[in-house]
Amino acid sequence: MIARFGMANPKPKKLMKRTRFVFVGTLALLPLLPFSLRAAGDWVRYNAVPNSSRVKVDGTSTLHDWSVGSTALGGYVEFDEAFDLNKPASGKVNAHCEVRIFVRQLKSDKTDMDNVMYDSMKEKDHRRLDYRLTEMTLKEAPKSPDAPFLFDTKGELVVAGVTNKAQMPVTMVRVGADKLKFTGSISVKMTSFGIKPPTKLGVFSTGDDVKITFEWLTAKKEQK
Amino acid sequence: MNKNETAELNRRDFLKGSSFATLMTMLGGVELITRAPLHAADLATLVPFQLKCAVIGLGNWGREIIATLSRLKTAQLVAVCDTYPASLKRAANSAPNAKGLDDYRKILDDKEVQAVVIATPTHQHREIAIAALQAGKHVYCEAPLASNIEDAKAIALAAKAARKQVFQAGLQTRSDPQRRFLLDFIRAGASGKAVKAHAQWHKKQSWRMTSPNPARERELNWRLSNETSLGLVGEIGIHQIDALSWFLNGRPVSVNGFGSIMQWKDGRDVPDTVEAVFEYPGGAHLLYECTLANSFDADYEMLYGTDAAIMMRGNKAWMFKEVDSPLLGWEVYARKDQFYKETGIALIANATKLTNLTEKATDEAAYTTKPLYFALESFLINVNAVSSAVEDFSATFDVNDKAALEKYISEVKLQPAAGYQEGFEATALAIKANEAVVNGQKAVLPKEWFELA
Repeated sequence: MIARFGMANPKPKKLMKRTRFVFVGTLALLPLLPFSLRAAGDWVRYNAVPNSSRVKVDGTSTLHDWSVGSTALGGYVEFDEAFDLNKPASGKVNAHCEVRIFVRQLKSDKTDMDNVMYDSMKEKDHRRLDYRLTEMTLKEAPKSPDAPFLFDTKGELVVAGVTNKAQMPVTMVRVGADKLKFTGSISVKMTSFGIKPPTKLGVFSTGDDVKITFEWLTAKKEQK
Repeated sequence: MNKNETAELNRRDFLKGSSFATLMTMLGGVELITRAPLHAADLATLVPFQLKCAVIGLGNWGREIIATLSRLKTAQLVAVCDTYPASLKRAANSAPNAKGLDDYRKILDDKEVQAVVIATPTHQHREIAIAALQAGKHVYCEAPLASNIEDAKAIALAAKAARKQVFQAGLQTRSDPQRRFLLDFIRAGASGKAVKAHAQWHKKQSWRMTSPNPARERELNWRLSNETSLGLVGEIGIHQIDALSWFLNGRPVSVNGFGSIMQWKDGRDVPDTVEAVFEYPGGAHLLYECTLANSFDADYEMLYGTDAAIMMRGNKAWMFKEVDSPLLGWEVYARKDQFYKETGIALIANATKLTNLTEKATDEAAYTTKPLYFALESFLINVNAVSSAVEDFSATFDVNDKAALEKYISEVKLQPAAGYQEGFEATALAIKANEAVVNGQKAVLPKEWFELA
């Protein structure tokens, strides 16, 4: 909630000015203030759809390339209602987004290797991978209703308890009437998150670079 | 590394061909095998998870389960249970950190306990297994699941309904890597068309247990009464018959049984010597023999195909080829053992894959572990996978969507193990086979007999 108001800064500010005129008289109405704030900055929220997304983490080693994946990508994305999907304008988009993945839901074909990975990622202390969007820019307005939206995004990625800035292009397409699918990928270094690339003495050592690729389906939250 | 060290390692390890790491050090290169064993030190010290387990039923087999669980670092035995104080005391000695309880309901009430292993007499499984499933516990239930079809069905249906829990039937060979390797090998047609099968279990022993207390003695010898026991073919044969049905890729359509009390005429009504002939679709027969009156040649299973016969003994297996069978290639280099006039080609999981030239094809080191170890290991891994999937899914999606959760669980990759379906089918077959043995008649096995609903 705090992040939400912080991001939606311009509109509430105006509102605050207006309310100051009648401040004394409406002191009794103060508890209702949050409601008016919410009304001023309406958000359209899309929640992650279960079993419809996919994240893949690909890496290398001296033995062979490896890959782990999961379908359990949770979280939400919400847009300022001013952002019209039918008539989008390029430039900054007022949006919030959080994605979460539980580390032990990332799996390969090899249970033993997965256990080594969880251990390297300090899973017992940091059970989740988290992503938070901080800035979203629509590169150019899609030319047709079916064309994908191409965004440049800035955000924070939290892995093994370490937060790093994450910048990546993200593609968004509309799926049906009420769903949005996001795809993208980002390359990161394990060591930048304080993770020592797993090695097996005399057998293999893994490379520091990994690539995270995702496909994330969200559905418009039903109004209650 | 100095020269002397290299020479030392060279002589000792390279000739023995056992140390891969050493070879790599000497070659200074990237290893070429695809089935590299993980460095023992890493996995030996890593405890990926630990599950709080309880064992219910502390007879001989219950104690074997306790001993096996104590070797599995993923298990934390927190409670053991038996209604008989002496059994409880004896088991408690080998599980000093576990609570000793005289009523299984106390285990089910304990929120800490995540998984239970049921090793009580067969006819007591139903009540405990169903109560455990209803209490939200993951269940490993010994085979046969029950001594009658109603109980077997009730357990299997309760397990089927418990979507968020793991139910494993104690058909250990289903989790045994050696048998799984053989399954692929046989299914690939290496022995030709299967024409018949044979299994035996010979051990001279009374099967009777003694106790100073007559009531206790009656309870203890539940195996010797037809009322509570599925006899030799059901209590012992179930494992061998299930394995061979698995290899033959089918369920029998009928069974003929024969049984007599030849040696232990001590008031029991369960035959001590039995034969059963199972007929499989397509005409192949399995002859099963079991006796408590003679030990010759112990226990083994045989599968006879048009190209080769395959013999399975414990954790080892051999292939005996026909002279006109096609050459597979790898068998030229495989280890061979002599059995009187026959030459057996050792079937070892890595023998058919010449990927690891530095390692001698030997099974002794890798497969000395008993099938129970693999079965319980699989059970624990599967319980952890399913329970963490349920927990994480619920924390990931703020939707109360039961169908989505069940779909997610159904996609969790599990270790090979016998589930409620395999357990039910094997038990249903054991019940009919015992019926045939006790009545000395043929019992037909219609498809409906194996249907759960």
